[in-house]
Amino acid sequence: MAAAILAVLVGAGVFAWATRETPDERAIRSRLDSLRNEVNTSTKDGIGVALHAAQIGSYFAEDAIVELGEGAAPIKGRDTVMGMVARLQPRTAAFRMDLDDITIEMVPESNTADVLLTASFVRRNISTGEESLDAREYAVVMIKADGTWRIARITAIDTLR
Amino acid sequence: MSSLSSGSFFRRLVFGADPRRTSVRVVVLATLSFIIFKWVLIPIRAEGISMEPTYRSGSLNLVNRLAYRYRKPERGDIVGIKLAGPHVLYVKRIIGLPGEHLSIERGQVYINGAPLNEPYVKNRRGWDVAEVTLTAREYFVIGDNRGMRASDHDFGRVDVSRILGRVIF
Repeated sequence: MAAAILAVLVGAGVFAWATRETPDERAIRSRLDSLRNEVNTSTKDGIGVALHAAQIGSYFAEDAIVELGEGAAPIKGRDTVMGMVARLQPRTAAFRMDLDDITIEMVPESNTADVLLTASFVRRNISTGEESLDAREYAVVMIKADGTWRIARITAIDTLR
Repeated sequence: MSSLSSGSFFRRLVFGADPRRTSVRVVVLATLSFIIFKWVLIPIRAEGISMEPTYRSGSLNLVNRLAYRYRKPERGDIVGIKLAGPHVLYVKRIIGLPGEHLSIERGQVYINGAPLNEPYVKNRRGWDVAEVTLTAREYFVIGDNRGMRASDHDFGRVDVSRILGRVIF
């Protein structure tokens, strides 16, 4: 019995050691969690549209580029991102964003990280209450400036082509 | 005296006649469950209507990750397709195999020029997809619900490395 418990504990320890994260990886994950919470915070929750857009914009680098895939022009610059967030606010209030399967790979000898994740947008039909899910994979480049990790580039990946 | 015997009864009910053996069983069962549901059978919940009527939105299913260890995916298989990882999957049906030419004309799927019989499709809109040729590593996957607009439906070619396993339930 003692041997079985010891084996389980050793296994759990090895698993924890193998999956440990560096401080930068933890910071990036925490930053993405905050972004998700920010996106899911509606302006109905007590903040104005402009402030909400500015808060989301603070997660992006000044020259950030967002490529949403075929048929959509790239969004260039933090100000453009903030403008779009402000304009889309009535629609974004009707959905919830989740980020799953976040893989972080630090680029050696640089303040850059390559992040792969799945973003799911859960939309609720106001009249029926039914939820629909739209999931997509994104490659995200993050850079560290002044001690803060920000998004430099988001590129949508076409899983099905 | 009465409370002692009820306490004893409760202990026996929870831990069994031999608590040591029960503990070993619990550890083994927990470990097996963890291994099976982490690496072999992935529980998933279908979201959305693209696989209706085969799978309703909200239905619980299992993906067998070992299904293609000894054989290749076949036409008609319903598979889990991973995005960035295994927690959010597309659930689609394979209709095109590597090397095949596939097109959709007014909702009818053609494989190498021959119409494909799809009894699982109950509603069909007039989708059109220009002919594609699948590479040696590509499968063509699509949902069973062809009654929705094609622009609202995710389908197309997928690399074999993205197929996580077969949906078995």
